[in-house]
Amino acid sequence: MSFKNIMENFSNYRKDAEMGGHHDYEHRWAMAIDLDVCTGCNACSTACYAENNLAVVGKEKFEKGQGMHWLRVERYWEDNDTREHPENGAMFLPMMCQQCGAATCEPVCPVAATYHTPDGLNAQVYNRCIGSRYCNNNCPFRVRYFNFWSYYESSWPEPLNMQLNPDLSVRDKGVMEKCTFCIQRIRVAKDLARREERKVIDGEFLTACAQACPTGAIVFGDTMNPESQVSKAWAKHQITRGPHTHTKPKDNPELRGYRIFAELNVDPSVMYLERVRETEV
Amino acid sequence: MRLINLAKCQRSFKHFGSLLGQSRLNTRVLLGICFTVFLWMPLQASAELPVPSHISPPVGDHEGEDVPQPIEFPHNRHVKDMKINCMYCHTYARRSKVAGIPPTSKCMGCHKMIATDKPRIQKLTEYWEKGQSPRWKKVHDVPDYVHFTHEKHIRRFVFDADFPVEDVQQVCGLCHGEIREMTVAHKVKPLTMGFCRRCHEANGGPGDCWKCHK
Repeated sequence: MSFKNIMENFSNYRKDAEMGGHHDYEHRWAMAIDLDVCTGCNACSTACYAENNLAVVGKEKFEKGQGMHWLRVERYWEDNDTREHPENGAMFLPMMCQQCGAATCEPVCPVAATYHTPDGLNAQVYNRCIGSRYCNNNCPFRVRYFNFWSYYESSWPEPLNMQLNPDLSVRDKGVMEKCTFCIQRIRVAKDLARREERKVIDGEFLTACAQACPTGAIVFGDTMNPESQVSKAWAKHQITRGPHTHTKPKDNPELRGYRIFAELNVDPSVMYLERVRETEV
Repeated sequence: MRLINLAKCQRSFKHFGSLLGQSRLNTRVLLGICFTVFLWMPLQASAELPVPSHISPPVGDHEGEDVPQPIEFPHNRHVKDMKINCMYCHTYARRSKVAGIPPTSKCMGCHKMIATDKPRIQKLTEYWEKGQSPRWKKVHDVPDYVHFTHEKHIRRFVFDADFPVEDVQQVCGLCHGEIREMTVAHKVKPLTMGFCRRCHEANGGPGDCWKCHK
């Protein structure tokens, strides 16, 4: 591809990224997160720590940005708070791996340790990862976390190692890791469905964060199933899969859905519902 | 090896061709000889190698370490002589991830009556009367990052394949070796990723990393 070609077709850049990848999806796991309902309680993050054997790195390493929270609750403050009730404080946004359909992390991995599964997830294979951290540098969401240290002894001293989840490995130093949409739960549900010769039922299982959310802000499901809760939520807010075409209609405040960085055509699997601000209501 | 042979073949062909006056017939004959010696024969030789038509795990010595068990359980006596099905004791193999080690109550189900004079059985009865179970040790242990399900493999090779369940020992033996010849179970197959992949490729098993790696 010549430079001229790139310049001429720049508007189409990554538009056809979907053409190259998977097409025979078995499932497409997705989420809908209602920021209006989110209270920023961090229960999702805590549940994720417990479920996915996430290392607790301690204050000092956390300050250096070496925290291992696959799901972080971001806080946003307004510079000039003109809200009626500024004492309401920050606005929250749970941020985890968006399991992009055209993920930017995948093509840069030199050893193909991250790849696209037939479930529409970005898999991270720990055994294959050599820790080049290219994927982290190429991720617009900054949701990949690198094991700078071996945390096994410091994070789970005896007898805390008894709480480790046996359904996924404990990652060691030099390995990149990220949210998997609780692949171990997906695996169990799919195995069970196969054994009983049926399809996976919507709501049969949830990710740890969705399960722990006290206000039900996180809805998890399969967008290949049109009857699933998450499909209905996406349809209700007129968000569709694939290249970015969505522009938020200004006349209808009911349509609050958006996908973060959808304009980069990474096709994220998480739809956020905008917080209803007092000034706009 | 075959590439080197081809290069040699071309060189020798040119050389002999010039020597024999570049006759059409001679070149054809030479070509035929070259083809036979350097291409057809190696092909034949490779055809005789065991091709993984069904399952051909790596051959050779993969002896694992001896795992001393609290009671020297004789698999050969139970499987070969008494013809007890593997899944009579390892009952979870057909419905769960792990095959499971039978509870002591299952042993006592038979051994309350059978062979009560043998020292091993007396040891077992001691455990039973104390309300303890022998601490059996794991012999076939895959690493923690591997997700292996007995249920899926038993389903694929026994129930879906209409394989007679009474001969299930043969299917188990693909990964566990000839357990019926052993007393205490002993690891004889490598159980490495290459070992798994070879069978997966031969039988159309999943190739997706996340199917087995966790």
